Amino acid sequence: MIQLKEVSKVYQTKTIETTALNNISIQVSSGEFLSIMGPSGCGKSTLLNIMGMIDEPSSGKVTISGQSISNYHSKALARFRNQKLGFIFQSFHLINELSVIDNVELPLIYRKTSARERRKMAAEALEQVGLKNRMKHFPGQLSGGQKQRVAIARAIVGKPGIILADEPTGNLDSVMGAEIMDILLKLNKELGTTIVMVTHDETMAQKTHRLIRLFDGSQVQ
Amino acid sequence: MISNYLKLAIKVLGRRTFFTAISLFGISFTLMVLILLSAFIDAEFGNHQPLTQKDDMVFLERAMMKLIVQDTTWEVDSLRLDGNMVYDSTMQVKDITTSTSTASAGYYLCNNYLRDVTGAVNYSFYAPSRTFDLFIEGKKLTFNAIYADAAYWQIFDFSFSHGRPFTKQENDNASQIAILSTQAARNYFGSSSNAVGKFLELDGKQFEVIGIIKKLKNAKPFVSADVYLPLQTINPMAINQDNLLGTFEAVFLANSEKGKADILASLEQKAKQIPLPNPEEYNNLYLKGTDLLGRYALYVLPISDNNYDKAKKVFLLITISLLLLFVLLPTLNLINLNVSRVMERSAEIGVRKAFGAHSGSILMQLVFENVILTLLGGIIGYLLAYIVLYLVNDSNILGEIVLQFNTTIFIYSILICLAFGIISGLLPAYRMSKIHIVNAIKQHQI
Ligand SMILES: Nc1ncnc2c1ncn2[C@@H]1O[C@H](COP(=O)(O)OP(=O)(O)OP(=O)(O)O)[C@@H](O)[C@H]1O
Ligand SMILES: [Mg+2]
Repeated sequence: MIQLKEVSKVYQTKTIETTALNNISIQVSSGEFLSIMGPSGCGKSTLLNIMGMIDEPSSGKVTISGQSISNYHSKALARFRNQKLGFIFQSFHLINELSVIDNVELPLIYRKTSARERRKMAAEALEQVGLKNRMKHFPGQLSGGQKQRVAIARAIVGKPGIILADEPTGNLDSVMGAEIMDILLKLNKELGTTIVMVTHDETMAQKTHRLIRLFDGSQVQ
Repeated sequence: MISNYLKLAIKVLGRRTFFTAISLFGISFTLMVLILLSAFIDAEFGNHQPLTQKDDMVFLERAMMKLIVQDTTWEVDSLRLDGNMVYDSTMQVKDITTSTSTASAGYYLCNNYLRDVTGAVNYSFYAPSRTFDLFIEGKKLTFNAIYADAAYWQIFDFSFSHGRPFTKQENDNASQIAILSTQAARNYFGSSSNAVGKFLELDGKQFEVIGIIKKLKNAKPFVSADVYLPLQTINPMAINQDNLLGTFEAVFLANSEKGKADILASLEQKAKQIPLPNPEEYNNLYLKGTDLLGRYALYVLPISDNNYDKAKKVFLLITISLLLLFVLLPTLNLINLNVSRVMERSAEIGVRKAFGAHSGSILMQLVFENVILTLLGGIIGYLLAYIVLYLVNDSNILGEIVLQFNTTIFIYSILICLAFGIISGLLPAYRMSKIHIVNAIKQHQI
């Protein structure tokens, strides 16, 4: 489904050159739940962002569903992200000015979906993460675990084939973290959603189909 | 899609009350100032009675006399040439102005020399500077008077609420008749509607009121008075003495730009030909005409030698700079506010792009927000201006000037609003729409 071939990412600043990813080749199959681990700064986020096409590799080739990406700023790629990908971030990144339901609707705004249809889909997504009763709240009124569940609802509302999660439980305590993990596992099992997750938690990683370890930008396992 | 942007903008603005309030204050205040300023400019320079023909008018508001003497100096240079001393002397002749007198023109000058000015299709002489003290029921009233000829009423198109202007014949006969302003009639007779036919006592003489003029929109001293009297009823001394300087002004009406230029040239020409009664006192006469703007500029900026052109230039420069300052500063401020506001939202924009928004829709969203904000500010500014206008007119701070809204000002202020909104929103929105997603999202975490 997602294929990275000899992908490298080098950050060039005035004084130093940082190699965040060094010649990585990975293949993620459809329906797979993959986790990525490694010490801080080893390039996990960079790898995930490249898989999600919100970052451009310095060299190498990224193919998604058989199509390779050439222009990272095209409208077509924006549409592709909109329909096929869902993101979950460590620090949630909800829009504080919008209510929970409006936040969840966000990906649908960039589709040709009617307002009523959007409401309905967002309500369903919130129900899936168990937050239907908080639709009218604002992010500031929610706990960290609830915020992350809203973020998951936003990632799944458009029924994407792939979800990319960067330390989704990183800011949560272990109980809430476990809840989030359960939701992701259920998504993967019941809907067949492909999931790539960065985590620091060994037990969570063990629950996924496959684990990749990075060290200093290179794959070590 | 548009309705989405609209809803989104309203939601965002509604939630960010502090930012919204600050922006709205800035925008509405700026627009209020602009609207008031344009209302003021319209009142002062717009086409209003009695100055509908202002663009065809040339004024002679003052005459200048100078005594110019020639000062001769000798300079002797010496140098040695081939062993001999050579002396070379040069004579320098300089004109020196030893005294200057500037005043309004005398009736003698107007009457004898200014009746055949080239380019003028009509002209009027009038004296605007007399005041009278009147007593009514033990109360003292002070009336400003303008002595005018019959042509005055043709050149300045006053509108009368009652009665009529006086005729040439009435002026020639020095008929004791008067025209009052609405306010003056009210003050003296208690009402302006029944004043015509009544008598007014000025300096012990009875003047019959024959007309009442409506309230003026601007208070130029040469058209704004409490009472208007036939020129020939002025103190005979003012008419009969043969002084070139005095208390009169002249206005000439042209029917083209060329006509106006001809009038100016003709006045300067005449000044050279008019015999001066006392050349030891003054040996040069200058008659410089001007249009309304020059007159205004010289009144505001006392520039020597009646240099209307220079006064106009400086006046326009100052006015335009002030206007720019008033418009530019708030716009820059708004852009600045917008940049920091939009930067603050980089994470939101990164998230939107990650979920499929392309640059165009981000741009639209941000510009939309800004246009709505400025239109809102425009409405508030308009209301503020309305209130201030009402207060200004009610309190007579600007004297006789009446500020008024009109459709032109309304349309202009809407255009100003939109331009404001788009300009101040576009730049930051454009920068933001091009932002790199990962960087945008990261910035938030720091
Ligand atoms: N914009 C950038 N400019 C320069 N260097 C960068 C930039 N972004 C990341 N890096 C560097 O690239 C390397 C990999 O960063 P990355 O964020 O992928 O690490 P990570 O494995 O996700 O770490 P963490 O577990 O702390 O999130 C780091 O050394 C980082 O300093
Ligand atoms: Mg990371």
